[in-house]
Amino acid sequence: MTEVTITGINSITYPHLDVWNWLVAIYLFLGGLSAGILIMSAIANLRKWPGSASGPHCEKGVMFAPFILAFGMLFIFLDLERKANMFWFYLTLQPTSPMSWGAWGIMIIIPVSFLYALSTAPPESRHNLRYEALIKLSEMLRPYMRRLAMISFGLGIFLGIYTGVLLSNMLARPLWNSPILPVLFLTSAASTGAAFLIIVARRAAVKLFYTKLDIWLIFAEIVIIVLFFYGQYNSSASSKASIMPFFALTHEFFLYFLAVFLMAVLLPLALVMKLIEMREEHADVLSEATIFKMNLSAVMVLTGGLIIRLALIYAGQLVKFM
Amino acid sequence: MSKYVMVIDQRRCIGCMACIVACKAENDVPEEHFRTRVIQEVEGQFPKLRMELRSELCNHCDNPPCVYNCPTGASYKDKETGMVLLKKNRCVGCKACIASCPYDARYIDPRHGYADKCTFCSHRVAKGKEPACVQTCIGRSRIFGDIEDPESEVSVLLREHHFEVLKPAAGTEPKVYYINRILKG
Ligand code: SF4
Ligand code: SF4
Repeated sequence: MTEVTITGINSITYPHLDVWNWLVAIYLFLGGLSAGILIMSAIANLRKWPGSASGPHCEKGVMFAPFILAFGMLFIFLDLERKANMFWFYLTLQPTSPMSWGAWGIMIIIPVSFLYALSTAPPESRHNLRYEALIKLSEMLRPYMRRLAMISFGLGIFLGIYTGVLLSNMLARPLWNSPILPVLFLTSAASTGAAFLIIVARRAAVKLFYTKLDIWLIFAEIVIIVLFFYGQYNSSASSKASIMPFFALTHEFFLYFLAVFLMAVLLPLALVMKLIEMREEHADVLSEATIFKMNLSAVMVLTGGLIIRLALIYAGQLVKFM
Repeated sequence: MSKYVMVIDQRRCIGCMACIVACKAENDVPEEHFRTRVIQEVEGQFPKLRMELRSELCNHCDNPPCVYNCPTGASYKDKETGMVLLKKNRCVGCKACIASCPYDARYIDPRHGYADKCTFCSHRVAKGKEPACVQTCIGRSRIFGDIEDPESEVSVLLREHHFEVLKPAAGTEPKVYYINRILKG
């Protein structure tokens, strides 16, 4: 029997006192989503499309990437306790701090992905850019589309991994301190990116292409999630204890169990729906019912991505390194 | 160059909590927050009980994850004294240091937003004084000094006693040493 009496309210009595909350989870989700959009759109734009000249295939979707990332940054900004000091991020580069790398990385990714998005605008819809300067810039960038796509692919991978490394390098929080976490976040980022592009893409071929890719990504994600829990279970006492909230089945930890339950339902269900979509015969123009089903499974994937991050952010602060 | 450390002789602690009060007064620690705490851990079956009194504070680690994770360089390891300190004007309050400290030694000062913690009373040490908690410790359970000086009290104590640090497996190389800590399996 052990009885602990502690003088003072501190993080030892409230282990998650003053650390990270849903703002950070949303930031990681939106960061991952924009990373996924960049990776996925680069793949589509770089590949050879049978029967058509290779070229931009999901121009509308790419344009969302820099804005989603900037919107995500707003959440991390809201989480800062001393917002007026934010400029310090950009007066130094701390090589050992993932957050420092991230702050600089995002400053590069936002403009580069914007330029990439401009380069993908096809001549016939350039007028949608409205501003003369943007239209001109888009024309100028068009010949560099492939190169920009390659760079954006690399930046997307960096961003996706970064969102995981931000957590995984913290030995103090055993749930996060797993080398699988960045891989999980990257896979989930790519999968949510594909899901998002399925929703915004117009052409049937593009929607089906991302559906096919997402099948592999969801499959990989499920395997990685299982391996993540398995790895934690077989690791040190702290790591083993850190996954306890997910399987404790008590009133106190019900939300964590619910998170695992939802993941176990949403991801496989989305996977099956996508497999069925791929098996069906599709005309050049998709029927409304098909589009609805595609969007529904994409929303499931997006919801799953958000749940993973919320659950990991909160649960990671419950168990400390022992 | 010095390297300041603290030795906590647990045999001499009576759990009076004077250190906590002295620290709060000296450093204007905000309400509901503490830079040091004394954990009272009771073990065993009644009536055969055993109590450990364990003072905890920032370990001024030699391998400090809080410093490695700080994106702005606000948290740093002072080369002259070996203390882990904070440049408050640089801190953005991102809480990476709080999340990365295995000892929960930091807190956000709700009045200013920076991630504060024990400074080994660097402002007093600079004037040749001891940290407030050490000076006030009735049982002389807390002993402070320069481990680079072989004649200092801390060096002598650590030479002559078996000592432990908290969570050595974290690899943080803490600079707060415990003498006679109740060994647990
Ligand atoms: S105890 Fe925590 S706050 Fe203090 S130096 Fe070590 S890691 Fe940093
Ligand atoms: S809260 Fe302040 S001291 Fe801590 S890591 Fe962020 S900037 Fe550095």
